[in-house]
Amino acid sequence: MQPWLSPVLKEENDVGLSDLMSMAKPNIEARDKILARISGKELVNCFQCIKCTSGCTALKLLELKPHEIIKLVNLGFVDELPSSDIIWTCVTCLKCVQRCPQKASPYHVIIALRNLAVEKEAKVPERYLKAVSQILETGQVDTYQKIVTRKMETVDRESLKLPKICAPKESFQVVFMKAMEEKTV
Amino acid sequence: MTRIGVYVCHCGLNIAGVVDVEKVAEYAKTLSDVVVSKHYTYMCSEPGQRMIQEDIRNKKLDRIVIATCSPRMHEETFRRAVAEGGLNPYLTEIVNLREQVSWAHTHEPEKATEKAKALVRMGVARSRLLEPLEKRRVSVEKSVLVVGGGIAGIQASLDLANAGFPVYLVEKAPSIGGRMAQLDKTFPTLDCSACILTPKMVDVVKHPNITMLTNAEVTDVKGFVGNYEVTILKKPRYVDEKKCVGCEVCAQVCPVKVPDRFNENLTQKRAISIYSTHAVPNIATINSEYCLRLKYEKGVCGKCQEACEAEAIDFEEQPKTIHVKVGGVVLAVGSEVFNALQMAELGYGRFKNVISNIEFERISDASGPTGGKILSPKNGKTPKTIVFIQCVGSRDKRFHEYCCRVGCMVTLKQAILAREKIHENVKIYVCYIDMRAFGKGYDEFYGRARDMDVDFVAGLPSEIHESTDGSLYFDVFDKGTNKLLQIRTDLVVLGTGLVPNKDLADISALLHASRSADGFLLEAHPKLRPLESAAAGVFLAGACQGPKDIPDTVAQASGAAAKALDLLSHGEIEIEPLKAIVDEDLCSGCRICASICPFLAIEMKTDIIEGKEGARAEVVEAMCQGCGLCSSACPTGAIKIQQYSSKQVMIQVDAALAESCAEGGK
Repeated sequence: MQPWLSPVLKEENDVGLSDLMSMAKPNIEARDKILARISGKELVNCFQCIKCTSGCTALKLLELKPHEIIKLVNLGFVDELPSSDIIWTCVTCLKCVQRCPQKASPYHVIIALRNLAVEKEAKVPERYLKAVSQILETGQVDTYQKIVTRKMETVDRESLKLPKICAPKESFQVVFMKAMEEKTV
Repeated sequence: MTRIGVYVCHCGLNIAGVVDVEKVAEYAKTLSDVVVSKHYTYMCSEPGQRMIQEDIRNKKLDRIVIATCSPRMHEETFRRAVAEGGLNPYLTEIVNLREQVSWAHTHEPEKATEKAKALVRMGVARSRLLEPLEKRRVSVEKSVLVVGGGIAGIQASLDLANAGFPVYLVEKAPSIGGRMAQLDKTFPTLDCSACILTPKMVDVVKHPNITMLTNAEVTDVKGFVGNYEVTILKKPRYVDEKKCVGCEVCAQVCPVKVPDRFNENLTQKRAISIYSTHAVPNIATINSEYCLRLKYEKGVCGKCQEACEAEAIDFEEQPKTIHVKVGGVVLAVGSEVFNALQMAELGYGRFKNVISNIEFERISDASGPTGGKILSPKNGKTPKTIVFIQCVGSRDKRFHEYCCRVGCMVTLKQAILAREKIHENVKIYVCYIDMRAFGKGYDEFYGRARDMDVDFVAGLPSEIHESTDGSLYFDVFDKGTNKLLQIRTDLVVLGTGLVPNKDLADISALLHASRSADGFLLEAHPKLRPLESAAAGVFLAGACQGPKDIPDTVAQASGAAAKALDLLSHGEIEIEPLKAIVDEDLCSGCRICASICPFLAIEMKTDIIEGKEGARAEVVEAMCQGCGLCSSACPTGAIKIQQYSSKQVMIQVDAALAESCAEGGK
């Protein structure tokens, strides 16, 4: 299973968005920080047509409501969002970006919130950390898998006589780490 | 020795809130020749104007500089005031401290005050060189051209014709009636559209003052306000308008099928046919793109000619050019409906059961393809669920940013019609962002739709899918219930908005009528002059100025007609004296000015110059609009615009630089 598709909310000590929001207060400074990150206010210029949520790939399983996130950011309720697990459920299909009639983009806001979460050292789902270490080790986001065919045969790369995948060179890891550091600054 | 009066206006707090008006007035006193310098809350008010007039009399002022709002706003007002004070009105100079200073530099009051001082200094410098001018009077042709025969054009034509002025009504389609003729019912009263429109269409034909030119287009406009020379191209119908009796026997024998434009291409008609069931004039037209005879060669087909007892069919008919002289023009070319093909996610064009609201209108109309029964296009069955989706193509930065103003009401009307026609056997959903029911009786109409069990879903779907049986399904998140609704339906009606007419590009170029950013024609002032275009003598009616419903369109059309009457009624109008003048000694006869003049106001006359034959430019006064293109293009400086000669402009530049040079030297 793709790491980002396994239900996030089932991890221990998870906090849902509505629990966090019940006592929340707006924080305009933090809001402006996020707006600066996504360069320009147009990205949150939303009139709540809900097209993003209607079409959201992560909504049915994971209850991600992009329109809600955009509205929360607009009103300044940003302190709680990075600590919520909901921001990690976006599968980055970019449908919301493509179809938004106001050229706003919940996707960019969610990515900004994720970066904020990393900076604040809030809890990042383990799968993401795993994904990072996996890239470092194998150069790939996902490991290759064994597959059961219709004839109920189990096949993998070896049985299909596909070439072996080499581990990346050490220099790759250096470049990758450097790029990650630069991005977070 | 000139005696200059400077008046600085506060414009309430519009100017005074940013610019230190007192300082500016004090500064003006230090400029040479300035005798009086005052500031006042509202210069344009009665006491403000009186102040200027008293100073002209008592202090013998001969130049007036008013630092206030844009000259577009109140130049006329102040000129009139100055004239009443006994001075030539053209000795007034307006300095713009509002649009160009206080509104532009709200956050920098000190710099704004400095800029205001500089502008006043420039204005004072220029005022010394102003010359007294007299307004020109030109006669006005007492007739009007109305472009577009929809409800706007019809209403404007009837109003003008009833007032006794000849009207030329030009319509591109073979029949007048426009968009309104295609509609089934009208909101919020549910009047039958045809029942209230067709009598008006007949009135147009019968009116002795209206010359109706259908199947025709305006191809050229020359001249200026009060004296337009218009060229109209009348395309051939290939049917004699006088002989045809409208029996449509020809259509029964014609073998060629063509898409029916009036029915939004939902059905087909014959290559020779009458435009619609209630077309005016009720005359057949041959579609030359499809007719076998016209497309191929002589001797082919010709069945209609054989069948026509009135002998009205004439394959040899040629396009005709008609020239008319008119005093004013009413533009009523209307709008188009957004083509939902551009919004791929909704499946219009891919799925047969996704239709636009204008197509629904034809399906619901008794004269339409289904005889007024609401049926799904794919299987011809009565739908069990109908979904309306709002804001298709409008309020959308990918297509059109504006609100289409009619979409919500159209959908409410169509939802009510569907409920009335299919009764309780249909489930009706309306997916919307905001429901805008702002007109008289409109919100009550919204209430009526809710009473009739129409379900409103606050949210738009992201995409529509089709299942194998032709039904459609989609997910939509509803704000009210905070739930993802999964809807399955037989018919989706897209609330497509109104978009600018494709012809507007040509029309705006022909008449110098500018367009706003949204593509519609631009009014002279958004609040105070909504019926006029910036080009003098050109008036706007209906949806060509912006999306509009029928009540607003009719109101604007009558208003535009009244404006045109105002222009025609005196038989003569005053026009600005600012015009081009040629210095014959400097003119080299290069013809650059004549080639660029947009008003064709420059003629070249041949002359004997120093024994040789040469040409010289001559300005046709009545046609010159004082735009200044010629003056800036003239290589020898022979042609200049009154009040804007190089001297008058350069002295301002000098004044602008004077202080800054001094500052630089410090």
